[in-house]
Amino acid sequence: MYSELLHALPDVFALTNFAAVVIGVIAGIVVGAMPGLSATMAISVLVPFTFGLEPLVALGLMAGIYNGAMYGGAIPAVLLRIPGTPAAVATTFDGYPMAQKGEGGFALQVAVVSSAFGGIASAFALMLLAPPLSRVTLLFGPSEVFWVAVFGLASIIFLLGGNPVKGLISACFGVFVSVIGSDPIYGNDRFTFGQLEMLDGINIVILLVGLYALPPVMDLLETPLKTDGVNASKLGTVSIWKALPRMNYWKTWLRGSFIGIWIGILPGAGGSMAAFMSYNEARRTSKTPETWGEGEPEGVAAAEVANNADTASALIPALTLGIPGTAVAAVMLGGLLVHGLQPGPMLFRDNPDIVFGFMWQFLFGAILLILLGGSLATNSFARLLNLPRPLLGSVIIVLMLIGVYSIHGRMFDVYLMLGFGVIGWLMDRLKFPLPPVVLGLILGGFAEENLRLALRIGRGDPMILFQNVTSLVLVALTVAVIVGPTLKKRYVDSRRTA
Amino acid sequence: MLNIFKKTAIVGTMCIAAGAALAQDYPAKPIEVIVGYSAGGGTDVMARTAAPFIEKYLGDGASLVVKNMPGASGQIGVTEAANAAPDGYTLGTFNLPGMMARTIDRKADYDRDSFTYLANVVNDPNVIVTSKKSGLDTIEKLLEEAKANPGAITVGMSSLGGDDHFALIKLQNATETEFTIVPFKGSAPARTALLGGHVAMGILNISEVAEFQDQLNVLGVATRERSEFAPDLPTFQEQGLDLVNGSLRGFIAPAGLPEDVQAKLIDAFTQLKDDQEFLDAMAATANPVEIVTGDDFKQLTSELYDLASGVWETSPWN
Repeated sequence: MYSELLHALPDVFALTNFAAVVIGVIAGIVVGAMPGLSATMAISVLVPFTFGLEPLVALGLMAGIYNGAMYGGAIPAVLLRIPGTPAAVATTFDGYPMAQKGEGGFALQVAVVSSAFGGIASAFALMLLAPPLSRVTLLFGPSEVFWVAVFGLASIIFLLGGNPVKGLISACFGVFVSVIGSDPIYGNDRFTFGQLEMLDGINIVILLVGLYALPPVMDLLETPLKTDGVNASKLGTVSIWKALPRMNYWKTWLRGSFIGIWIGILPGAGGSMAAFMSYNEARRTSKTPETWGEGEPEGVAAAEVANNADTASALIPALTLGIPGTAVAAVMLGGLLVHGLQPGPMLFRDNPDIVFGFMWQFLFGAILLILLGGSLATNSFARLLNLPRPLLGSVIIVLMLIGVYSIHGRMFDVYLMLGFGVIGWLMDRLKFPLPPVVLGLILGGFAEENLRLALRIGRGDPMILFQNVTSLVLVALTVAVIVGPTLKKRYVDSRRTA
Repeated sequence: MLNIFKKTAIVGTMCIAAGAALAQDYPAKPIEVIVGYSAGGGTDVMARTAAPFIEKYLGDGASLVVKNMPGASGQIGVTEAANAAPDGYTLGTFNLPGMMARTIDRKADYDRDSFTYLANVVNDPNVIVTSKKSGLDTIEKLLEEAKANPGAITVGMSSLGGDDHFALIKLQNATETEFTIVPFKGSAPARTALLGGHVAMGILNISEVAEFQDQLNVLGVATRERSEFAPDLPTFQEQGLDLVNGSLRGFIAPAGLPEDVQAKLIDAFTQLKDDQEFLDAMAATANPVEIVTGDDFKQLTSELYDLASGVWETSPWN
């Protein structure tokens, strides 16, 4: 099973494939460092441009961007107390105080080494867990896949944090979009308004570019970022090889990696939740909890290791079952589909070199973080914050338009994308979460199709949905995700009043 | 006024002259081949594999440019090809029975008379497979079970109104049996469900199961003679069941192609039959070749249309 893993290695080192990872990591750091721009946005804008590329070049870019962006978010978090990506919020707690004390350089180095550690752990988890899991997935028939989709929808709504009602509304919008097009069984048109372009449903990349790229771009054009430049000028950076021995955070790194990997596998939650959990756990077990929040480097380590540890592991359910757990994993699945790679158990059988090569690229992307982000250029990446924002915004808009047009070569898709962009911007302003829309589109389609297939297999008898252990376990998990938070809140409240 | 007549006459003469010149010099510029599916799909691979060989037989430095116009199960692309100028510089790929079924189950801007039929190139015959779990490892056992418990056998297939579906209808009519159809979204998920034993039986195409013979029971192939693609698999006719059906992929041009252009194109396609290099390239991409050209191809399309509309009248699929 694992021999194919080694077999895929030489391809990864082909010049173009390796260069793709390097470029991806650098681009990812840049994107992550720009507040508002996220890995999801960068990869969705990129996907249409990868049609003509070799699969491993395209996937290497994506793996690099994902790893790079998760670290890049730490740069403004440390220097400006503005998280570059949502996952870097917990990094501000101790990173910014460190920068104020003139230790910004060390904070960034801790961030980059921790990010790399998390990324490496996550890549190993993907390599070790995905191949055996892909064999088990043959056990997942239509009724089981239906429950996985329902579980995923429930967790994205209830675990994302914030307001579950808004999450539910977002998810419902996504599910509605999944209904557009010909229905999966009979092929009847639904909400197509007679447009042939709508018959195949809404392409996930079009939705993603609209939702994830347009709102931040408008934000870039609208609000100038005030960089005081003070912290960036007193970084106090020493060579990373001198800084490394000061980092003795093995326990935090290991704990954060486990948390991040686990959160990544679960559908719904993502890097920000992993970072918070890891930070809280590390602080709880620390011998000196009073220094946390005042510039404790270990706090930066805890947050950054966890938000990188969910990167590759989020692909475990995506590659084996075809069900992405996070918005980024959803975009990557889109990237795989562009290259005719159908996720699921057959992926490992039909294209082992590509799928295992992709896993290696995650590993090397994480290792490259230390070299590119740490030793070479801590100081230069800190200057990214001074890039002219309106210029960047305009460049991204052009890329969005060209990319979406090139998917099918038609303007219809561009208008569709702009429409979703306006919706995304409104939702952003009204504080509706965006990930449930994306997962609603994907999981809603899965749920409908598989429910109908299961009912046909059961010849109309709904008991087919509860006929085996896997289904029942998934039902139990779904119920736990929905009522769990409420029960916990009640319990806490009752203790408080007692 | 006279001027206008003069101009019209001149332009008209020039057009006719151009038309005549066109036939002689054809092809004088790149020929566009519209593929109604995304790059990398079965039809796209066929078009891209065949293109250099067609260029070779058209001669004169002919060049074919594949243009993908995916969407609506190929309908967008084939509609574009049907409505293009019939000058031989726009060809299209054509899938049967899908393209004819779409004129029946949906509103379509083309019909069977919208095309000049050039050649069918690929015939991917249907196969009946059963999951190892089902225990139905011969066609007799399968039919026996289907007769004993009508509707109890679930059949995974890629979609309704496609070749898989018509093969099942033919099977049901020939054997007076009844099955429960489970239409997946494409043949890959249908095959995965078969491997996991979630459906008992499946109707797929030979290219899709050739590598899975040890994990599925392949009961037979719906061809007249054994397929060169997998010669060890028996046909249904050998087993006393008259079932011939498959998924066909070929090339069309808009209706009204000049006759000599049509002849030149059909001639190029005919020569593919004996080109070993071409046959090897197609075998390498899992495309069983069966070349049917011109009027025979048109006849084949008509037969499939009649079959589809007959099925539609008795049991519409949507």
